[in-house]
Amino acid sequence: MKIKWSYNPLKKCRNYDITILLVVLTLTLSAGTYYHDVIPTGPYQFTYPANFGNRINVPEDNPTTKQGVYLGRMLFYEPRLSANNTLSCANCHKQQLAFTDNRSFSVGVDQVETTRNSMSLANLLWTRKFFWDGRAASLEEQAAVPLTNPHEMGQSLEASVKKLKAKPQYSALFKAVYGDNAITGERICKAIAQFERTLISANSRYDQYLRKAYQPTAEELKGMDLFNTGPQPEKGIRGANCAHCHGGVKTYMELFHNNGLDSIPKDNGIEAITGLPGDRGRFKVPTLRNIALTAPYMHDGRFKTLDEVLDHYSDHVRQSESLSTVFRGESNEIGGKTLMLLPQEKKEIIAFLNMLTDKDFITNPEFSDPRLHPTKK
Amino acid sequence: MKKQFIIAFIFIISLATSITVQAQTTATVKITGEVTTPLNLALADLHQFAQTVVVRKDKDGKDHTYSGVMLSDILQKAGVVMNRESLTKYLLVDASDGYQIIFALAELDKSFTDRVIILADTVDGKPLALGDGPFRIIVQDEKKPARCIKQVTSMKVLFAK
Repeated sequence: MKIKWSYNPLKKCRNYDITILLVVLTLTLSAGTYYHDVIPTGPYQFTYPANFGNRINVPEDNPTTKQGVYLGRMLFYEPRLSANNTLSCANCHKQQLAFTDNRSFSVGVDQVETTRNSMSLANLLWTRKFFWDGRAASLEEQAAVPLTNPHEMGQSLEASVKKLKAKPQYSALFKAVYGDNAITGERICKAIAQFERTLISANSRYDQYLRKAYQPTAEELKGMDLFNTGPQPEKGIRGANCAHCHGGVKTYMELFHNNGLDSIPKDNGIEAITGLPGDRGRFKVPTLRNIALTAPYMHDGRFKTLDEVLDHYSDHVRQSESLSTVFRGESNEIGGKTLMLLPQEKKEIIAFLNMLTDKDFITNPEFSDPRLHPTKK
Repeated sequence: MKKQFIIAFIFIISLATSITVQAQTTATVKITGEVTTPLNLALADLHQFAQTVVVRKDKDGKDHTYSGVMLSDILQKAGVVMNRESLTKYLLVDASDGYQIIFALAELDKSFTDRVIILADTVDGKPLALGDGPFRIIVQDEKKPARCIKQVTSMKVLFAK
């Protein structure tokens, strides 16, 4: 009995406490080195085909490091960065959809829809103007907007900092990236930007064709030809002239055009920033990389399929004062007002567009949630 | 939460103000970079310079008469001195549709070439079409019209690094 009484449950508890305390202390002390041990560190080397060119856009004050990319990836998939802890960047930028969300407009923490379509995140390393209206000059600047917009993730950067501070692993990660463990809004955006720059799509069948590793079908080749050719009906040359704005191996030229969606647009695009009538209804000409995966299309997601998109450019371009000149009088028929492609030609162009789908890009574990797919050392 | 609303409110107000301010502006061309006096030229300012006429073919294959200001005159006004150092400088021209082209400064130097490059605002005596203007660069005698950049919004003098 005496022995039994000497067994004090409270005391035992205290022993547990001490053990837990010791474990926590050990973990905390080793946390800094722990992350150095498991995540790759050092300068990040971008890998891309030579024909992509080297006019890349990395701000001098945010050099890309392996640890920075890792932290950015953690944050990209971090729902604590949203006001109700349910949304991360990945909710509207899903890898399997080439980082889009299959919706015309996305739904934010307040259940209100965004005003424009979620953009694909591919080959941003070469991008210099961000958003549909090009208003942000860097990914760092861009990232802060969806994080804090009340109709997107809806949380101030200060609140995000507070939430991340409560998770000890972030303290160690920020230290590994920035040299000290201060967590700031600027550092959050910088890390996310670093990760986004690594999202390179360069192994579609089109890329394979360009490096002579894939022989396109006859339909794909015809589509490619139409894509790259401007129509000259008087010479009997048929074309869709897509490459005028979507040309080059990246199918992205950083242009902004009014492509005749409306005569009187609901969304004035760049005019809302510049106040210039020539900018009315003018939006970014997006990359066509993985375009078959990124429906619905246009800044307002009005077209559900590529067929609808081709029908628009072929037959339904709306006239207005600010309609870009490339859409004026370009036709496959002499005196025609629109492109007037044949149904077969539209199919061929879509066959080519499907060549731009990059399976490696949408399945690369390095771009996925690090909690599900840990980084290989 | 209340604080967030206040911040959001201030943000919206400042955004609205900036848009209103922008809405009152007219199209201009900004001249920046390696200059002593950055310029922001509206049509009226451009008309203060000596006007030069260039005749060249456009995409339609026909000759057109363009009138405007020599780029060298504009750069001089901005304080750009043409010297040995300017041989490693270039002018980056931006259009409102995102299109960009460059000229080496020597291409704009009268002591190097008689070929005239102007910032035009009229064609055949009329203002440029909305899709081309209000400002367009016209390069005399260049075979391709690709550097006759339309809807010019800015010109920046830079060093080759």
